[in-house]
Amino acid sequence: MSLPRRLLCVITDERSDPVELARMALEGGAGMVQLRRKTASGRQLFEWAVRIQELCREHQALFIVNDRVDIALAMQADGVHLGQQDMPASVARTLLDPEAIIGVSVSCAEEAVKAAADRASYIGVGHIFPTYSKDKPSPPLGTAAIKPIRNVAQLPVIAIGGIELKNAAEVIRAGASGIAVISAVSESDDPAAAARELVRMIRQ
Amino acid sequence: MIVSSGGEHLAQRGLVQKQAQALARSAPVIFQIREKMLDAASLWMLCHEIAPFIDAAGSLLTVNERFDIALASGAKGVHLPESSCPADTVRKTARGLIVGQSAHSETAALKASSAGLDYLLFGPVFHTPSKAPFGPPQGLEQLQEICEKVRIPVFAVGGITPDKALACIECGAWGVAALTPFLDAGSMPETVNRYLSFMPS
Repeated sequence: MSLPRRLLCVITDERSDPVELARMALEGGAGMVQLRRKTASGRQLFEWAVRIQELCREHQALFIVNDRVDIALAMQADGVHLGQQDMPASVARTLLDPEAIIGVSVSCAEEAVKAAADRASYIGVGHIFPTYSKDKPSPPLGTAAIKPIRNVAQLPVIAIGGIELKNAAEVIRAGASGIAVISAVSESDDPAAAARELVRMIRQ
Repeated sequence: MIVSSGGEHLAQRGLVQKQAQALARSAPVIFQIREKMLDAASLWMLCHEIAPFIDAAGSLLTVNERFDIALASGAKGVHLPESSCPADTVRKTARGLIVGQSAHSETAALKASSAGLDYLLFGPVFHTPSKAPFGPPQGLEQLQEICEKVRIPVFAVGGITPDKALACIECGAWGVAALTPFLDAGSMPETVNRYLSFMPS
């Protein structure tokens, strides 16, 4: 499965009902939804994942699960997103369908090279801007880091971290194929409209 | 006999590796990796590292909940908590693995049994600090009722010291599971033997 260009990936937050959030994000034109809820039980994740996958199919969007390769396998998600503390992508590749999407979070060239060697489908590069969604001790990478990291990995880049309406276009100009957001959509009073605006901005 | 790994309680570094090595001198057991504090990368690495030792010892390595890690690390089974991904789905997806599940009520036990799982872990039978979050002790009578009603092997868990193992077997349990008595990795083979001495084969 190849990644569409100028993609908006909406990641679920720790508070909202993930199915409702996904529904609104998809209405707004998100091309990919990532289910991420560190505190949920396996059963809860599975139930959410089944319903979000259905919604994504209706909207011809992709559905991936953060960290939990087991859940992705059990409900046949389109793929997974793996952080540096998750199962190595090379190992996940042996379990998942050869066509499955495997995204890997990277924050430097070294991790990007490893992700490519591990047969990742894309790299999530970040955090680009300051962000409060995750506790990040390291300074933001800035948009200038996108191109060199993309070039060493030769993989599509989905930029993440502090991306919102005012800087989304800049990230795409800097070489990202897409953007991933949590709070820019989940914290909005109107998540569907927020997603729609972001999509419009990255497709300009 | 099921031995639950217990590194998370004491944060003893290297405890699980020591337990795995000690299994070489022990009668075969099911060695269940239950390290909820570890991230998936560390858990995979740990299982991948110890799987060959457990195999060579004739024991069975099972991983708590994460059947992806079990499949990828060469473990032989997965142990599902009650609130896991549906057991019948795991059964279909994780082909080749032994699949067991914890049950803390009769309803959950019957459900696991009808999902065609390989075994059930029922408890807590007695009081134990490590199983207190799973509710008050169920007692031997309840254990006996479960053993009569389900069609798969039942392992009793929760406060089961070696001298209490026989009572569980007499209630119809297939075996017992324990964590705390194995925190001293060095004496693991002797502890396993003490349990086995109370359980008629």
